[in-house]
Amino acid sequence: MNNQINDEIVLDVQDLTVSFRGFVGKVQAVRGVSFQLPRGKTVAIVGESGSGKSVTAKSIMGILAGNAIIEKGSILYDGDDLTKISEKQFQDIRGKKIGLIFQDPLSSLNPIMKVGKQITEMILENQKVSKKEARERALDLMRDVGIPDVEQRFEHYPFQLSGGMRQRIVIAIALANEPEILICDEPTTALDVTVQARILDMINELKYQKNLSIVFITHDLGVVANMADFVYVMYAGKVVEYGTSEEIFFNPKHPYTWALLSSMPDMDSKEKLLAIPGTPPNMLEPPVGDAFASRNRYAMEIDFKEQPPFFKVSDTHYAATWLLHENAPDVEMPEVLRNRIDRMLVEEEEYHKGRGEGNQ
Amino acid sequence: MLKYVLKRLLAAAVTLFIILALAFAVVRLMPGSVYDDPNLDQAIIDMLIERAHLDKPIHIQFYYFLKGVVMDKDWGTSVKVEPGVPAFQVLANRIPVSLQINLISLLISVPIGIVAGIVAALQKNRGADTLISVGVIIFISVPSFVFASLMQYFLAYKLKLFPILYQPSAVGALRLKSMVLPIAALSLSPIATITRYLRGELIEVLGSEYMLLAKTKGLGRFKATVKHAFRNASLPMMNVIVPMFANIVGGSMVIERLFSIPGVGGTMIKSINANDHSLTVATLMFYAMISIGTALLVDLSYGLVDPRVRVGGKKDE
Repeated sequence: MNNQINDEIVLDVQDLTVSFRGFVGKVQAVRGVSFQLPRGKTVAIVGESGSGKSVTAKSIMGILAGNAIIEKGSILYDGDDLTKISEKQFQDIRGKKIGLIFQDPLSSLNPIMKVGKQITEMILENQKVSKKEARERALDLMRDVGIPDVEQRFEHYPFQLSGGMRQRIVIAIALANEPEILICDEPTTALDVTVQARILDMINELKYQKNLSIVFITHDLGVVANMADFVYVMYAGKVVEYGTSEEIFFNPKHPYTWALLSSMPDMDSKEKLLAIPGTPPNMLEPPVGDAFASRNRYAMEIDFKEQPPFFKVSDTHYAATWLLHENAPDVEMPEVLRNRIDRMLVEEEEYHKGRGEGNQ
Repeated sequence: MLKYVLKRLLAAAVTLFIILALAFAVVRLMPGSVYDDPNLDQAIIDMLIERAHLDKPIHIQFYYFLKGVVMDKDWGTSVKVEPGVPAFQVLANRIPVSLQINLISLLISVPIGIVAGIVAALQKNRGADTLISVGVIIFISVPSFVFASLMQYFLAYKLKLFPILYQPSAVGALRLKSMVLPIAALSLSPIATITRYLRGELIEVLGSEYMLLAKTKGLGRFKATVKHAFRNASLPMMNVIVPMFANIVGGSMVIERLFSIPGVGGTMIKSINANDHSLTVATLMFYAMISIGTALLVDLSYGLVDPRVRVGGKKDE
């Protein structure tokens, strides 16, 4: 896969800063996040709970909670800044141009409305079609997302469907108006692993079929590997490292990315699963320097004093860590991770040999 | 569904029987007797006692009572409140009066409560909501007779806007006018209860993910609330509104007395004070039947309205 940064950009998020008013003060959930979504690609935003990834997604959809304030930054889509347009204008974009798949299929469907009706509602609300056409469209969509016996399922209520089926319905709703962009906010977190894999495959398939550009939000790096073209690693409301999927997985530079990758379960290793020590910082008063410094065993004095800028690793790969500064000591990634990556590279090579390089 | 209905009906019958037995026993345990009148001749008292089987042990008395109820629909005869009139007839004369006032009260309370609840939920923590919520707390915590007395004093006595008491013999506008105060006094608490409950339910539903999904569908706030939130929030509301009917009937015991309405509530109190046992038991049963009936109605209507009960139930049976 050859990723070029000069692809057409469909969504351009610049310096997005979002806070929430609370009883005790302002919680700075997102602090200057920038990313670009190239057409037909998948950008994954990865981070642990509270890193601001879901808030970023909700900002793009314009469905932030009432006490949220977008302090700065812009979300450029089709010439409009989504942070500035009115709710009325947003209704023409939300659901039509940008679709959203929620985290929890169990609670994102109305429990007392037939699933078919929930899909046709989306179609009837946004397209000028008759009820009958809407029904046909809905049945097609249900087939597209791999639901069997569509005629019968159409009449079912959400509680009669399994979690995976319900998530397929949610995806069908998101795709009903053929959006350009699909935002997946941890779409498989609530599902078990086998269902998870099937849903992910399906999203990938739909991406090529319908030429979707996807923002994929997850805490699960294992999921990212199969989905993303570009990966943005978020910590404490900031992007700490970004690059192509290969660059992040095979050549990570930020200690937080190392920690994340090391804490992924590995079937082939007998090593103990590593946890990241400590807890994320309090976002009421984010630390001055690198937010990860207090949990980072490679932290230097400057990490506690000054926020590191992005250092360039390659044209597409940047990391915000002082370790990349020319005066920094030479620090290598942890041994465990090094070994794992080497093994993965070998596997990857064998895989490609097996397939033959010709079809790339 | 049929099996479910039968099951519920059977359970209701058993409950009613237990209540009947308890009511019968408790009433007879009360001290004093209607025949404790010093002016009555002892021979007459003995004769009356024998005719009412009061000289027999209580379970035999209960047997005779049950036999009367089942065979002749005879709930006993009032001896003091309306001497000589069958207890059933006494109630039958009074039920329409109570029912009329309570039904009107309920018909007023439900829409007002629903509108206030929706407004409060949509305006959560803003001016309108604060105002409504303060009112709700006052109307729930202060008993209805306090408002009834206040209204009687200020609106009826001082301002002379309404008659102080209910006027059963009056016709037309005057009768309606005399019903205004009791109905208002009866409605305050149900309105507050419905408002509070609906506000809570709606706020929860409005914060749910499917409301977000409705928003991403491009539905406006009003449309989303009506199409998705209200129906979900109103399902648990049935639990509150239907039994409210029983509550209103019960609450009217005090209100009926304050406004001297010749309804069922007043009869209950009069019959207890007068040791008119048959009438007390009959009145108690009337209340029990309304309560159980409404509970049954709630259970069954759930099945009609909530697909999770309707469709889910089919699988098991």
